Amino acid sequence: MSATKIGAIVVIAIFAVIFVVTLGALPDVSDRIQASETASRVLEDGRKDTGARNLVSAVLFDYRGFDTLGEATVIFAAVAGVALAFSHEVLLLSKTGLSPLAKESMNILTPFIMVLGFYIIFHGHISPGGGFQGGVVLASWAILACLVYGVEVEEMVISTFAKMVVESIGIISFVLVAGIGVLRGVQFLSNLSAGYSAGMVGSIFSAGNIPYLNTAIGIKVGVGLAVLFVTMAKRDVGS
Amino acid sequence: MDITNLLIVYLFCLGFYCVITEKNLIKIAVGINIMEAAILLFLVSSASIPGASPPIINSEAISVIVDPIPHALSLTAIVIGAGTTGFLLSLIIRLYEHAGTVRLDNIKEMK
Repeated sequence: MSATKIGAIVVIAIFAVIFVVTLGALPDVSDRIQASETASRVLEDGRKDTGARNLVSAVLFDYRGFDTLGEATVIFAAVAGVALAFSHEVLLLSKTGLSPLAKESMNILTPFIMVLGFYIIFHGHISPGGGFQGGVVLASWAILACLVYGVEVEEMVISTFAKMVVESIGIISFVLVAGIGVLRGVQFLSNLSAGYSAGMVGSIFSAGNIPYLNTAIGIKVGVGLAVLFVTMAKRDVGS
Repeated sequence: MDITNLLIVYLFCLGFYCVITEKNLIKIAVGINIMEAAILLFLVSSASIPGASPPIINSEAISVIVDPIPHALSLTAIVIGAGTTGFLLSLIIRLYEHAGTVRLDNIKEMK
């Protein structure tokens, strides 16, 4: 064992002791939630404030909407960074794809993946899920298509340029939906006070602007992650 | 000190050790992701109450519900983690094309 490793173990042991002591000093979970004003406020008034059953969505798109916008920007920056790092076109990873059996299975799976993805996006305010989760399911279709059919075919179905346009539409529509609050004289990202209808709790068109924001984020994340993968898969590292 | 906290500390230290001692850049990326998993586990476990229901209200009778805020935060962290890991890996791929290796000690020798 080298001196570096012994040094690293000593550093980490000291770190672990501090970590364990700190975690042990935290208050008990149920006490903390009862004492936390934010948590009890969200739990008691969340449904009335936003009309959403899924309180995680309520926090994500209403109480902390700015945070979500910033998060989408981070994804945008990451995708832009990867695209910049791989800016020149090169040979394709897999030209022919996998066996006919895999392709046929992929054809059968495609509608189910799409329906599941959009279901999760559109029901984000009433059941577990939302734009990010559904978007990742949609992105998994693009990744699967790249692996099974090869990047070339996937590119032919939806070109990377078209994907980037759709991604931009997603983020712009988020800002537009959020900006209606400013036009109505209330704050950016205002939900019910901006005139969005709360609807009947539990139906798809309820919870004000949360379903629209979820859809925008779902499109943005789905396409963004697909671009991320396709740009990397296009590389032929061996050359 | 319950077992979840010990697991969090163990996972975080594992990732930290990996980042400090490994020379292979891909393994460093794996280490960073293990550290991230520990943080996510901490966020989710900090919200969980044994026997409480998830923060989705389906009936008027409100029982004990877990705190939804750490869930929303960890959702953010997962997405950003995926984005930054993608960028990290793409930089490593570029470095591999440039230097022909992903080992830091070999790259240092090249200078």
